[in-house]
Amino acid sequence: MFNKLRIGKKGENIIFGTFVLLYIGWCVNSPDMNIESLKSVLTIGLSVGIIYGLVALGISLIYTGLDVVNFSHGEFFMIGAFAGLTMFNLLGNQDWIFNVFPDAYGWIIYVVCLFTAFVSMGLFGVFIERVFLRPLTKKGGGYTVAGMGIIICGFGLSVVLINVAYLIWNPVAKPFPAELGLPMEIGGLFLPITYIWMIVVGLSVAAGLWFFLNKTKMGLGIRAVAYSKDVSNLVGINVPLYISIIFGIACAIAGIGGTLVGPTYQVVVFMGYIILMKAFAAAVVGGFGNLPGAIVGGFTVGIFETASSFYISGSHKDLYAFLLMIVVLMIKPTGFFGVQVKMKA
Amino acid sequence: MLKINQLISGYGSVQILNGANMKVEKQSIVALLGGNGTGKSTILRAASGLIRSWRGTIEFNGEQIQNLPAHEIVGRGLVQVTQGKDVFPAMSVTENLKLGGFILKSKQQLLDNLEKVYNYFPRLNERKDQLAATLSGGELQMLCIGRGLMSNPKMIMLDEPSAALAPQIVLDIFKNINRIRQDGLTVLVVEQNVRMALLLADYGYVIKDGVINVEGDSKKLMYDESVKESYLGGTKANV
Repeated sequence: MFNKLRIGKKGENIIFGTFVLLYIGWCVNSPDMNIESLKSVLTIGLSVGIIYGLVALGISLIYTGLDVVNFSHGEFFMIGAFAGLTMFNLLGNQDWIFNVFPDAYGWIIYVVCLFTAFVSMGLFGVFIERVFLRPLTKKGGGYTVAGMGIIICGFGLSVVLINVAYLIWNPVAKPFPAELGLPMEIGGLFLPITYIWMIVVGLSVAAGLWFFLNKTKMGLGIRAVAYSKDVSNLVGINVPLYISIIFGIACAIAGIGGTLVGPTYQVVVFMGYIILMKAFAAAVVGGFGNLPGAIVGGFTVGIFETASSFYISGSHKDLYAFLLMIVVLMIKPTGFFGVQVKMKA
Repeated sequence: MLKINQLISGYGSVQILNGANMKVEKQSIVALLGGNGTGKSTILRAASGLIRSWRGTIEFNGEQIQNLPAHEIVGRGLVQVTQGKDVFPAMSVTENLKLGGFILKSKQQLLDNLEKVYNYFPRLNERKDQLAATLSGGELQMLCIGRGLMSNPKMIMLDEPSAALAPQIVLDIFKNINRIRQDGLTVLVVEQNVRMALLLADYGYVIKDGVINVEGDSKKLMYDESVKESYLGGTKANV
């Protein structure tokens, strides 16, 4: 789960460095290049990147803990956004919050929404794991690399969850008008304060997860389960329970990501799919299965994507993340933090 | 203390154990001997709950424990010690040991047990902050045994503690196993190293094709022809 930055083969690094320099040169040559635009690119890039990073964190956590790739993770992100929005609509009608906290009611409501998304998606993740995935592990493979059935079922689960959300919330994009204060001016652009908020909350969640995994007893158990389920069994860890906990935490983090994105963009039933793809790109760039790598990969993909659409061409915005992923896979197949030998925990 | 009765088990649809019987008395060291693929480890895995028992019973302290979840079996005081390679390589020695005491409720108990393990194996104390991946083979085996002792077990089952180790280190580890028994634990050792295991043990069982067909006092087994046969496929060579 935590590997040091791998100093790659010399050739790998030289080729990769050449690509980076070429890319920077291309951006600097652009007529839009100035320090002002660079500031806003960095702000937007980091804030979008932390969202990719949070979803990638969940994907990596499930991959290390359960040895399967969860293809329905984007849907937990989307349902998390709806959970936050539902809470927001409930609290928006409550006058007493406004009366008690006239200055900060927007923030308080939003924090409650984040918390709701976190808890409800955690419970929902545990429910999905227990009811739908666990029976599949009984036949063939279990939670191992051999459990191909679970991976296929991830796709199915994704379609089911999208359609359930479609039935409940209908396909119209919904605004999430959180009142978090006036926009700020960064580099000549007026950006909603939610961009900064995304970075702050996202990094806190990542730091909290690091603290949880490294400093608590339950975290120690999770790292043990991620390394070996047999040995964890033998030291008396309740492995089935811990697998549920890992899945729940990954989904809860995705839910927070959804609620963070809500106020800046909109909440739509189909928002999970593209986020999942970008998060995969982020996870691959950072090193699949590595948790700090997921966040670093998220930032890299976010900044690369934003910078490219600013300085190169804005009409192919969704192309760049995958371009970066392909380049990384070609030159440095393990990603920034990955190791070739599979060594987890 | 541990009583295995007509145990049938295996992996997937492959049956390995065909009705194995054995008994481990309290505060004794019992050796379970057998060649590759005879079902030695399968007995251990069934007893510690890693695989299901298809039929037959496993009794521990008079209670049936077959097909209980593995962590409950650990909670009852029956702990399997894996081979040396099964440690958590990216964690420090202390962290590995603390993981062994995962089921302990109080922190004081954990520290006391840590002290106890360092007392058995001073080498681990010297290396307590190193990553487990950097330990030598003998130290890894000590770490595994120490981890097994952390949860206050009543009985430990060792899976080939001598595998791939130098004779001097094996002797050292076996001396410690004897000390552990003198401190009141019951020990079951699964071994391929027949001579060493029989020197250590009070009683021995020999398993072949999933059935235990030879048993007896370890002194007697050491000169038993069928033991040699079971190991060397009937050829007349000296063990």
